[in-house]
Amino acid sequence: MQQVAQLKPNPGPARANAVEVIGVSHVYHGREGAVPALTDIDMTVPAGRFTVIVGPSGCGKTSLLMMLAGLRTPTSGTILCDGRPIPSPDPQRVGVVFQEASLYPWLTAVENVEFPLALKGGPRGERRARAEAMLKLVGLDSFGGRYPHELSGGMKQRVSIARGLVQDPPVLLMDEPFAALDEQTRMTMGHELLRIWDETNKTVVFITHSLTEAVYLADEVLVMSARPGRILDRVAIDLPRPRTYQMMATDKFGQLRERIWQQIRAKE
Amino acid sequence: MSRTATTLIRLAMLIVFLGAWEVLPRAGIVNPMLLPPLSQVLAVLGDILARSDFREAMAVTAAEVVVAFVIAVPIGGALGVLLAENAYLGAIFRPMLFYVFSIPKSIFLPMFILAFGIGFGQKVAYATFSTVFIVIMSAGAAVESVKAEYILVAQSYGASRGQILRRIYVPSMMPILLEAVRISMIFNFTGVMIAEMYASRTGVGHMIANWGENFMLPQLFAGVIVLALAAMAFNELIRSLEARCSRWRS
Repeated sequence: MQQVAQLKPNPGPARANAVEVIGVSHVYHGREGAVPALTDIDMTVPAGRFTVIVGPSGCGKTSLLMMLAGLRTPTSGTILCDGRPIPSPDPQRVGVVFQEASLYPWLTAVENVEFPLALKGGPRGERRARAEAMLKLVGLDSFGGRYPHELSGGMKQRVSIARGLVQDPPVLLMDEPFAALDEQTRMTMGHELLRIWDETNKTVVFITHSLTEAVYLADEVLVMSARPGRILDRVAIDLPRPRTYQMMATDKFGQLRERIWQQIRAKE
Repeated sequence: MSRTATTLIRLAMLIVFLGAWEVLPRAGIVNPMLLPPLSQVLAVLGDILARSDFREAMAVTAAEVVVAFVIAVPIGGALGVLLAENAYLGAIFRPMLFYVFSIPKSIFLPMFILAFGIGFGQKVAYATFSTVFIVIMSAGAAVESVKAEYILVAQSYGASRGQILRRIYVPSMMPILLEAVRISMIFNFTGVMIAEMYASRTGVGHMIANWGENFMLPQLFAGVIVLALAAMAFNELIRSLEARCSRWRS
Protein backbone atom coordinates (compact mmCIF):
# COMPACT_ATOMS: atom_id res chain seq x y z
CA MET A 1 0.00 0.00 0.00
CA GLN A 2 1.44 3.33 -1.03
CA GLN A 3 1.39 6.17 1.42
CA VAL A 4 1.54 8.78 -1.30
CA ALA A 5 0.18 11.77 0.53
CA GLN A 6 2.76 11.49 3.29
CA LEU A 7 5.59 11.18 0.79
CA LYS A 8 4.76 14.40 -1.03
CA PRO A 9 6.83 17.32 0.21
CA ASN A 10 4.90 20.21 1.71
CA PRO A 11 4.85 23.21 -0.61
CA GLY A 12 6.11 25.46 2.19
CA PRO A 13 5.68 26.26 5.87
CA ALA A 14 2.76 28.63 5.23
CA ARG A 15 0.92 25.96 3.27
CA ALA A 16 0.98 23.14 5.78
CA ASN A 17 -1.62 20.43 5.99
CA ALA A 18 -5.12 21.82 5.77
CA VAL A 19 -6.70 18.66 7.14
CA GLU A 20 -5.13 16.05 9.38
CA VAL A 21 -6.92 12.98 10.67
CA ILE A 22 -4.87 10.97 13.14
CA GLY A 23 -5.99 7.56 14.37
CA VAL A 24 -9.70 8.33 14.25
CA SER A 25 -12.17 5.61 15.19
CA HIS A 26 -15.87 5.95 15.73
CA VAL A 27 -18.48 3.75 17.36
CA TYR A 28 -22.21 4.37 17.12
CA HIS A 29 -24.57 3.44 19.89
CA GLY A 30 -27.72 2.48 18.07
CA ARG A 31 -30.61 0.12 18.76
CA GLU A 32 -28.48 -2.94 18.08
CA GLY A 33 -25.85 -1.77 20.53
CA ALA A 34 -22.41 -0.49 19.69
CA VAL A 35 -21.66 -0.42 15.94
CA PRO A 36 -18.11 0.38 14.89
CA ALA A 37 -18.38 2.85 12.00
CA LEU A 38 -14.78 3.93 11.42
CA THR A 39 -11.54 2.17 12.36
CA ASP A 40 -8.20 3.85 12.70
CA ILE A 41 -8.44 6.43 9.94
CA ASP A 42 -5.30 8.39 9.09
CA MET A 43 -5.53 11.03 6.45
CA THR A 44 -3.56 14.10 5.49
CA VAL A 45 -4.64 16.69 2.98
CA PRO A 46 -2.03 19.35 2.15
CA ALA A 47 -3.38 22.85 1.60
CA GLY A 48 -4.75 23.43 -1.87
CA ARG A 49 -5.08 19.74 -2.71
CA PHE A 50 -8.11 17.90 -3.99
CA THR A 51 -8.74 14.65 -2.12
CA VAL A 52 -11.56 12.28 -3.02
CA ILE A 53 -12.89 9.56 -0.72
CA VAL A 54 -14.62 6.58 -2.34
CA GLY A 55 -16.11 3.52 -0.74
CA PRO A 56 -19.23 1.37 -0.55
CA SER A 57 -22.48 2.72 0.91
CA GLY A 58 -22.52 2.81 4.68
CA CYS A 59 -18.74 2.74 5.00
CA GLY A 60 -18.71 5.82 7.18
CA LYS A 61 -17.59 8.33 4.55
CA THR A 62 -20.31 10.75 5.51
CA SER A 63 -19.55 10.26 9.23
CA LEU A 64 -15.94 11.15 8.54
CA LEU A 65 -17.00 14.26 6.66
CA MET A 66 -19.34 15.29 9.51
CA MET A 67 -16.35 15.02 11.87
CA LEU A 68 -14.19 17.14 9.59
CA ALA A 69 -16.98 19.72 9.66
CA GLY A 70 -17.14 19.68 13.46
CA LEU A 71 -20.70 18.33 13.36
CA ARG A 72 -19.73 15.08 15.09
CA THR A 73 -17.03 14.10 17.55
CA PRO A 74 -15.08 10.91 16.92
CA THR A 75 -14.95 8.29 19.68
CA SER A 76 -11.16 8.44 19.59
CA GLY A 77 -8.40 10.08 17.60
CA THR A 78 -7.59 13.61 16.55
CA ILE A 79 -8.90 15.81 13.76
CA LEU A 80 -7.02 18.98 12.91
CA CYS A 81 -8.29 21.55 10.51
CA ASP A 82 -5.87 24.32 9.61
CA GLY A 83 -3.66 22.95 12.41
CA ARG A 84 -6.31 23.22 15.14
CA PRO A 85 -8.97 20.82 16.45
CA ILE A 86 -12.55 21.44 15.29
CA PRO A 87 -14.84 20.56 18.22
CA SER A 88 -17.83 22.42 16.71
CA PRO A 89 -18.66 23.82 13.26
CA ASP A 90 -16.47 26.72 12.22
CA PRO A 91 -17.62 28.12 8.88
CA GLN A 92 -14.59 30.41 8.75
CA ARG A 93 -12.36 27.35 8.42
CA VAL A 94 -14.62 24.77 6.77
CA GLY A 95 -17.44 25.14 4.27
CA VAL A 96 -19.73 22.18 3.54
CA VAL A 97 -21.58 21.34 0.33
CA PHE A 98 -24.24 18.73 1.03
CA GLN A 99 -26.06 16.20 -1.07
CA GLU A 100 -28.80 17.55 -3.25
CA ALA A 101 -31.86 19.36 -1.90
CA SER A 102 -30.04 21.02 0.96
CA LEU A 103 -30.96 24.50 -0.26
CA TYR A 104 -33.69 26.29 1.68
CA PRO A 105 -36.73 26.28 -0.62
CA TRP A 106 -38.15 29.44 0.97
CA LEU A 107 -35.05 31.48 0.13
CA THR A 108 -34.05 32.66 -3.33
CA ALA A 109 -30.71 31.55 -4.78
CA VAL A 110 -28.91 34.68 -3.62
CA GLU A 111 -30.54 34.50 -0.17
CA ASN A 112 -29.42 30.88 0.15
CA VAL A 113 -25.84 31.89 -0.64
CA GLU A 114 -26.13 34.76 1.82
CA PHE A 115 -27.52 32.51 4.57
CA PRO A 116 -24.19 31.78 6.35
CA LEU A 117 -23.38 35.51 6.34
CA ALA A 118 -26.84 36.39 7.61
CA LEU A 119 -26.23 34.13 10.63
CA LYS A 120 -23.20 36.21 11.51
CA GLY A 121 -24.87 39.58 10.94
CA GLY A 122 -23.03 42.54 9.48
CA PRO A 123 -24.00 45.15 6.87
CA ARG A 124 -26.72 43.91 4.53
CA GLY A 125 -25.32 45.50 1.40
CA GLU A 126 -21.91 43.90 1.90
CA ARG A 127 -23.45 40.50 2.54
CA ARG A 128 -25.57 40.70 -0.58
CA ALA A 129 -22.65 41.89 -2.71
CA ARG A 130 -20.52 39.00 -1.45
CA ALA A 131 -23.31 36.48 -2.20
CA GLU A 132 -23.75 37.90 -5.69
CA ALA A 133 -20.01 37.66 -6.34
CA MET A 134 -20.14 33.97 -5.36
CA LEU A 135 -23.07 33.36 -7.72
CA LYS A 136 -21.02 34.95 -10.46
CA LEU A 137 -18.10 32.66 -9.64
CA VAL A 138 -20.31 29.60 -10.12
CA GLY A 139 -21.80 31.03 -13.32
CA LEU A 140 -25.27 31.89 -12.00
CA ASP A 141 -25.11 35.69 -11.80
CA SER A 142 -28.47 36.22 -13.51
CA PHE A 143 -30.35 33.60 -11.44
CA GLY A 144 -30.08 35.13 -7.97
CA GLY A 145 -33.79 35.92 -7.72
CA ARG A 146 -34.99 32.40 -8.49
CA TYR A 147 -36.30 29.98 -5.90
CA PRO A 148 -34.70 26.51 -5.76
CA HIS A 149 -37.73 24.84 -7.36
CA GLU A 150 -37.19 27.11 -10.37
CA LEU A 151 -33.61 25.87 -10.85
CA SER A 152 -32.32 22.68 -12.49
CA GLY A 153 -30.45 20.07 -10.44
CA GLY A 154 -27.07 21.29 -11.67
CA MET A 155 -27.94 24.92 -10.93
CA LYS A 156 -29.01 24.00 -7.41
CA GLN A 157 -25.66 22.39 -6.75
CA ARG A 158 -23.89 25.45 -8.14
CA VAL A 159 -25.82 27.50 -5.59
CA SER A 160 -24.77 25.02 -2.88
CA ILE A 161 -21.13 25.42 -3.89
CA ALA A 162 -21.47 29.21 -3.82
CA ARG A 163 -22.97 28.92 -0.33
CA GLY A 164 -20.08 26.71 0.78
CA LEU A 165 -17.56 29.27 -0.49
CA VAL A 166 -19.25 32.46 0.67
CA GLN A 167 -17.26 32.78 3.89
CA ASP A 168 -14.05 32.02 2.04
CA PRO A 169 -13.04 29.03 4.19
CA PRO A 170 -9.69 27.43 3.32
CA VAL A 171 -11.32 23.97 3.33
CA LEU A 172 -14.36 22.86 1.35
CA LEU A 173 -16.03 19.55 2.21
CA MET A 174 -18.35 18.02 -0.38
CA ASP A 175 -20.65 15.08 0.38
CA GLU A 176 -21.67 13.42 -2.90
CA PRO A 177 -22.73 16.78 -4.27
CA PHE A 178 -23.47 15.54 -7.79
CA ALA A 179 -24.98 12.14 -6.93
CA ALA A 180 -28.50 13.10 -7.94
CA LEU A 181 -27.52 14.64 -11.29
CA ASP A 182 -27.72 12.97 -14.67
CA GLU A 183 -24.45 11.76 -16.17
CA GLN A 184 -23.98 14.67 -18.56
CA THR A 185 -24.70 17.36 -15.98
CA ARG A 186 -22.48 15.51 -13.55
CA MET A 187 -19.51 15.66 -15.94
CA THR A 188 -20.09 19.35 -16.61
CA MET A 189 -20.36 20.07 -12.90
CA GLY A 190 -17.14 18.17 -12.18
CA HIS A 191 -15.36 20.25 -14.77
CA GLU A 192 -16.89 23.44 -13.35
CA LEU A 193 -15.81 22.45 -9.85
CA LEU A 194 -12.22 22.07 -11.01
CA ARG A 195 -12.35 25.54 -12.55
CA ILE A 196 -13.74 27.03 -9.31
CA TRP A 197 -11.16 25.11 -7.27
CA ASP A 198 -8.41 26.46 -9.50
CA GLU A 199 -9.69 30.03 -9.16
CA THR A 200 -10.19 29.90 -5.38
CA ASN A 201 -7.22 27.75 -4.30
CA LYS A 202 -9.27 25.76 -1.77
CA THR A 203 -8.45 22.48 -0.13
CA VAL A 204 -11.22 20.09 -1.13
CA VAL A 205 -12.34 16.83 0.45
CA PHE A 206 -14.92 15.27 -1.85
CA ILE A 207 -16.98 12.13 -1.30
CA THR A 208 -18.39 10.17 -4.21
CA HIS A 209 -19.58 6.76 -5.37
CA SER A 210 -18.42 7.38 -8.92
CA LEU A 211 -14.91 6.08 -9.64
CA THR A 212 -14.74 8.05 -12.90
CA GLU A 213 -15.60 11.22 -11.04
CA ALA A 214 -13.02 10.37 -8.37
CA VAL A 215 -10.15 9.88 -10.83
CA TYR A 216 -11.18 12.87 -12.92
CA LEU A 217 -11.23 15.30 -9.99
CA ALA A 218 -8.64 14.10 -7.50
CA ASP A 219 -5.00 14.64 -6.66
CA GLU A 220 -5.37 11.66 -4.41
CA VAL A 221 -8.14 9.08 -3.97
CA LEU A 222 -8.66 7.40 -0.61
CA VAL A 223 -10.40 4.05 -0.93
CA MET A 224 -12.47 3.01 2.08
CA SER A 225 -13.66 -0.46 3.04
CA ALA A 226 -17.21 -1.46 3.96
CA ARG A 227 -18.22 -0.88 7.57
CA PRO A 228 -16.36 -0.49 9.78
CA GLY A 229 -14.64 1.92 7.41
CA ARG A 230 -10.89 1.68 7.07
CA ILE A 231 -8.63 3.22 4.45
CA LEU A 232 -7.70 0.38 2.10
CA ASP A 233 -5.58 2.33 -0.34
CA ARG A 234 -4.31 5.78 -1.20
CA VAL A 235 -4.07 6.30 -4.93
CA ALA A 236 -2.12 9.29 -6.23
CA ILE A 237 -3.74 10.57 -9.41
CA ASP A 238 -0.79 11.89 -11.37
CA LEU A 239 -2.75 12.97 -14.43
CA PRO A 240 -1.72 16.44 -15.58
CA ARG A 241 -3.84 19.49 -14.87
CA PRO A 242 -5.98 21.05 -16.17
CA ARG A 243 -7.92 17.84 -16.60
CA THR A 244 -9.84 17.31 -19.83
CA TYR A 245 -12.67 14.98 -20.79
CA GLN A 246 -10.31 13.33 -23.30
CA MET A 247 -8.20 12.02 -20.43
CA MET A 248 -11.02 9.67 -19.46
CA ALA A 249 -10.31 7.65 -22.59
CA THR A 250 -6.59 7.20 -21.85
CA ASP A 251 -4.97 3.99 -20.58
CA LYS A 252 -3.60 5.81 -17.57
CA PHE A 253 -7.10 6.89 -16.51
CA GLY A 254 -8.41 3.38 -17.01
CA GLN A 255 -5.59 1.84 -14.96
CA LEU A 256 -6.16 4.21 -12.05
CA ARG A 257 -9.87 3.57 -12.15
CA GLU A 258 -9.27 -0.18 -12.32
CA ARG A 259 -6.91 -0.13 -9.35
CA ILE A 260 -9.56 1.59 -7.20
CA TRP A 261 -12.27 -0.76 -8.44
CA GLN A 262 -10.20 -3.84 -7.56
CA GLN A 263 -9.73 -2.54 -4.01
CA ILE A 264 -13.44 -2.00 -3.50
CA ARG A 265 -14.50 -5.22 -5.22
CA ALA A 266 -12.02 -7.42 -3.34
CA LYS A 267 -13.64 -6.50 -0.04
CA GLU A 268 -17.27 -6.94 -1.04
CA MET B 1 -57.62 29.47 -21.17
CA SER B 2 -56.54 32.96 -20.24
CA ARG B 3 -57.00 34.26 -16.72
CA THR B 4 -59.43 36.98 -17.76
CA ALA B 5 -61.62 34.42 -19.52
CA THR B 6 -61.64 32.25 -16.38
CA THR B 7 -62.55 35.27 -14.25
CA LEU B 8 -65.34 36.27 -16.65
CA ILE B 9 -66.80 32.76 -16.62
CA ARG B 10 -66.73 32.68 -12.82
CA LEU B 11 -68.44 36.07 -12.68
CA ALA B 12 -71.06 34.91 -15.19
CA MET B 13 -71.78 31.82 -13.09
CA LEU B 14 -72.24 33.97 -9.99
CA ILE B 15 -74.69 36.22 -11.86
CA VAL B 16 -76.60 33.19 -13.17
CA PHE B 17 -76.77 31.77 -9.62
CA LEU B 18 -78.06 35.03 -8.11
CA GLY B 19 -80.42 35.57 -11.06
CA ALA B 20 -81.85 32.06 -10.69
CA TRP B 21 -82.34 32.67 -6.96
CA GLU B 22 -84.48 35.69 -7.89
CA VAL B 23 -86.31 34.34 -10.94
CA LEU B 24 -87.05 30.70 -10.10
CA PRO B 25 -89.13 31.40 -6.93
CA ARG B 26 -90.92 34.33 -8.60
CA ALA B 27 -91.82 32.21 -11.63
CA GLY B 28 -93.13 29.49 -9.29
CA ILE B 29 -90.61 26.92 -10.58
CA VAL B 30 -89.25 26.64 -7.06
CA ASN B 31 -91.59 26.92 -4.08
CA PRO B 32 -91.07 30.50 -2.78
CA MET B 33 -92.00 29.29 0.70
CA LEU B 34 -88.86 27.15 0.67
CA LEU B 35 -86.66 29.52 -1.33
CA PRO B 36 -87.73 33.14 -1.06
CA PRO B 37 -86.50 35.37 -3.92
CA LEU B 38 -83.10 37.04 -3.38
CA SER B 39 -84.57 40.56 -3.35
CA GLN B 40 -86.91 39.61 -0.49
CA VAL B 41 -84.03 38.02 1.45
CA LEU B 42 -81.88 41.13 0.98
CA ALA B 43 -84.69 43.39 2.17
CA VAL B 44 -85.07 41.25 5.30
CA LEU B 45 -81.29 41.22 5.72
CA GLY B 46 -81.36 45.04 5.91
CA ASP B 47 -84.08 44.83 8.55
CA ILE B 48 -82.44 42.23 10.77
CA LEU B 49 -79.05 43.93 10.61
CA ALA B 50 -80.77 46.98 12.11
CA ARG B 51 -82.37 44.91 14.91
CA SER B 52 -80.61 45.10 18.26
CA ASP B 53 -81.40 41.47 19.19
CA PHE B 54 -79.66 40.26 16.01
CA ARG B 55 -76.67 42.48 16.66
CA GLU B 56 -76.40 41.16 20.20
CA ALA B 57 -76.65 37.62 18.88
CA MET B 58 -73.85 38.36 16.40
CA ALA B 59 -71.69 39.79 19.18
CA VAL B 60 -72.25 36.68 21.32
CA THR B 61 -71.47 34.32 18.45
CA ALA B 62 -68.38 36.28 17.46
CA ALA B 63 -67.13 36.24 21.06
CA GLU B 64 -67.66 32.46 21.31
CA VAL B 65 -65.84 31.87 18.04
CA VAL B 66 -62.91 34.11 18.96
CA VAL B 67 -62.47 32.77 22.50
CA ALA B 68 -62.65 29.11 21.41
CA PHE B 69 -60.21 29.81 18.59
CA VAL B 70 -57.76 31.62 20.85
CA ILE B 71 -57.82 28.66 23.26
CA ALA B 72 -57.78 25.80 20.73
CA VAL B 73 -55.11 27.02 18.31
CA PRO B 74 -52.23 27.71 20.73
CA ILE B 75 -52.98 24.64 22.88
CA GLY B 76 -53.39 22.36 19.86
CA GLY B 77 -50.32 23.89 18.23
CA ALA B 78 -48.16 23.37 21.32
CA LEU B 79 -49.38 19.78 21.79
CA GLY B 80 -48.84 19.02 18.10
CA VAL B 81 -45.26 20.34 18.19
CA LEU B 82 -44.55 18.46 21.43
CA LEU B 83 -45.84 15.15 20.06
CA ALA B 84 -43.93 15.60 16.80
CA GLU B 85 -40.66 16.59 18.48
CA ASN B 86 -40.77 14.07 21.34
CA ALA B 87 -40.69 10.60 19.79
CA TYR B 88 -41.66 8.91 23.06
CA LEU B 89 -44.77 10.98 23.77
CA GLY B 90 -45.64 10.87 20.07
CA ALA B 91 -45.56 7.08 19.98
CA ILE B 92 -47.94 6.94 22.95
CA PHE B 93 -50.46 9.63 22.08
CA ARG B 94 -50.53 10.04 18.31
CA PRO B 95 -52.41 6.81 17.48
CA MET B 96 -55.02 7.69 20.11
CA LEU B 97 -55.42 11.16 18.65
CA PHE B 98 -55.82 9.64 15.24
CA TYR B 99 -58.71 7.50 16.47
CA VAL B 100 -60.39 10.37 18.32
CA PHE B 101 -59.97 12.63 15.31
CA SER B 102 -62.09 10.28 13.20
CA ILE B 103 -65.10 10.47 15.54
CA PRO B 104 -67.76 13.10 14.74
CA LYS B 105 -67.48 15.54 17.62
CA SER B 106 -71.21 16.41 17.58
CA ILE B 107 -72.12 13.14 19.31
CA PHE B 108 -70.46 14.48 22.45
CA LEU B 109 -72.63 17.59 22.50
CA PRO B 110 -75.18 16.22 25.05
CA MET B 111 -72.29 15.57 27.44
CA PHE B 112 -71.10 19.14 27.05
CA ILE B 113 -74.58 20.38 27.92
CA LEU B 114 -74.65 18.22 31.04
CA ALA B 115 -71.22 19.41 32.08
CA PHE B 116 -71.35 23.09 31.08
CA GLY B 117 -75.02 24.02 30.68
CA ILE B 118 -76.19 25.86 27.57
CA GLY B 119 -74.40 29.19 28.01
CA PHE B 120 -71.27 30.87 26.71
CA GLY B 121 -68.89 28.45 28.46
CA GLN B 122 -70.47 25.40 26.88
CA LYS B 123 -70.20 26.89 23.37
CA VAL B 124 -66.56 27.72 23.91
CA ALA B 125 -65.79 24.32 25.44
CA TYR B 126 -67.50 22.40 22.67
CA ALA B 127 -65.96 24.50 19.84
CA THR B 128 -62.51 24.14 21.43
CA PHE B 129 -63.03 20.38 21.60
CA SER B 130 -64.15 20.33 17.94
CA THR B 131 -61.09 22.26 16.83
CA VAL B 132 -58.18 21.12 18.93
CA PHE B 133 -57.61 17.76 17.21
CA ILE B 134 -57.21 19.17 13.73
CA VAL B 135 -54.77 21.75 15.13
CA ILE B 136 -52.70 19.03 16.83
CA MET B 137 -52.52 17.00 13.63
CA SER B 138 -51.65 20.00 11.45
CA ALA B 139 -48.98 21.27 13.82
CA GLY B 140 -47.41 17.80 13.76
CA ALA B 141 -47.40 17.87 9.96
CA ALA B 142 -45.84 21.34 10.04
CA VAL B 143 -42.99 20.12 12.26
CA GLU B 144 -42.41 17.17 9.96
CA SER B 145 -42.03 19.56 7.02
CA VAL B 146 -38.76 20.73 8.60
CA LYS B 147 -36.27 18.33 7.06
CA ALA B 148 -33.28 17.10 9.04
CA GLU B 149 -30.93 18.34 6.29
CA TYR B 150 -32.19 21.91 6.75
CA ILE B 151 -31.06 21.81 10.36
CA LEU B 152 -27.78 20.07 9.59
CA VAL B 153 -26.88 22.72 7.01
CA ALA B 154 -27.66 25.51 9.45
CA GLN B 155 -25.57 23.81 12.15
CA SER B 156 -22.65 23.44 9.77
CA TYR B 157 -22.75 27.22 9.32
CA GLY B 158 -22.70 27.69 13.07
CA ALA B 159 -26.38 28.59 13.62
CA SER B 160 -27.50 28.85 17.25
CA ARG B 161 -30.69 27.17 18.49
CA GLY B 162 -32.53 30.47 18.33
CA GLN B 163 -31.36 31.06 14.77
CA ILE B 164 -32.45 27.56 13.75
CA LEU B 165 -35.87 28.19 15.26
CA ARG B 166 -36.31 31.60 13.63
CA ARG B 167 -34.63 30.99 10.28
CA ILE B 168 -35.49 27.32 9.65
CA TYR B 169 -38.49 26.17 11.68
CA VAL B 170 -40.64 29.29 11.28
CA PRO B 171 -40.36 29.81 7.50
CA SER B 172 -40.54 26.10 6.78
CA MET B 173 -43.64 25.59 8.91
CA MET B 174 -45.43 28.85 8.12
CA PRO B 175 -47.47 27.79 5.06
CA ILE B 176 -48.73 24.64 6.77
CA LEU B 177 -49.47 26.52 10.00
CA LEU B 178 -51.51 29.14 8.15
CA GLU B 179 -53.42 26.41 6.38
CA ALA B 180 -54.02 24.84 9.80
CA VAL B 181 -55.36 28.15 11.12
CA ARG B 182 -57.70 28.43 8.16
CA ILE B 183 -59.03 24.91 8.46
CA SER B 184 -59.32 25.05 12.24
CA MET B 185 -61.51 28.12 11.89
CA ILE B 186 -63.90 26.06 9.77
CA PHE B 187 -64.07 23.39 12.48
CA ASN B 188 -64.34 26.03 15.21
CA PHE B 189 -67.12 28.01 13.53
CA THR B 190 -69.01 24.79 12.80
CA GLY B 191 -68.67 23.78 16.45
CA VAL B 192 -70.13 27.06 17.71
CA MET B 193 -73.00 26.90 15.19
CA ILE B 194 -73.94 23.32 16.05
CA ALA B 195 -73.86 24.06 19.76
CA GLU B 196 -75.99 27.19 19.30
CA MET B 197 -78.53 25.45 17.09
CA TYR B 198 -78.80 22.44 19.37
CA ALA B 199 -79.45 24.21 22.66
CA SER B 200 -79.00 27.90 23.36
CA ARG B 201 -80.77 31.08 24.41
CA THR B 202 -78.81 33.40 22.15
CA GLY B 203 -76.42 33.57 19.21
CA VAL B 204 -76.94 33.68 15.46
CA GLY B 205 -77.11 29.87 15.25
CA HIS B 206 -79.90 29.87 17.81
CA MET B 207 -81.81 32.53 15.83
CA ILE B 208 -81.39 30.59 12.58
CA ALA B 209 -82.68 27.41 14.20
CA ASN B 210 -85.68 29.36 15.53
CA TRP B 211 -86.42 30.95 12.16
CA GLY B 212 -86.33 27.52 10.59
CA GLU B 213 -88.72 26.02 13.13
CA ASN B 214 -91.13 28.92 12.56
CA PHE B 215 -90.91 28.75 8.79
CA MET B 216 -89.39 32.23 8.54
CA LEU B 217 -87.26 31.46 5.53
CA PRO B 218 -86.36 35.01 4.40
CA GLN B 219 -84.88 35.62 7.87
CA LEU B 220 -83.18 32.24 7.83
CA PHE B 221 -81.51 32.96 4.49
CA ALA B 222 -80.52 36.46 5.63
CA GLY B 223 -78.79 34.86 8.62
CA VAL B 224 -77.11 32.33 6.36
CA ILE B 225 -75.77 35.15 4.17
CA VAL B 226 -74.28 36.97 7.18
CA LEU B 227 -72.54 33.82 8.46
CA ALA B 228 -71.35 32.75 5.02
CA LEU B 229 -69.81 36.17 4.34
CA ALA B 230 -68.06 36.19 7.72
CA ALA B 231 -66.64 32.69 7.18
CA MET B 232 -65.50 33.44 3.64
CA ALA B 233 -63.90 36.74 4.67
CA PHE B 234 -61.73 35.02 7.32
CA ASN B 235 -60.84 32.19 4.96
CA GLU B 236 -59.76 34.59 2.21
CA LEU B 237 -57.74 36.72 4.64
CA ILE B 238 -55.69 33.69 5.74
CA ARG B 239 -55.44 32.43 2.19
CA SER B 240 -53.88 35.71 1.07
CA LEU B 241 -51.33 35.41 3.91
CA GLU B 242 -50.68 31.81 2.87
CA ALA B 243 -50.06 32.88 -0.71
CA ARG B 244 -47.55 35.45 0.53
CA CYS B 245 -45.66 32.89 2.61
CA SER B 246 -45.79 30.14 -0.01
CA ARG B 247 -44.36 31.81 -3.09
CA TRP B 248 -41.39 29.44 -2.71
CA ARG B 249 -43.52 26.32 -2.86
CA SER B 250 -43.66 24.63 -6.23
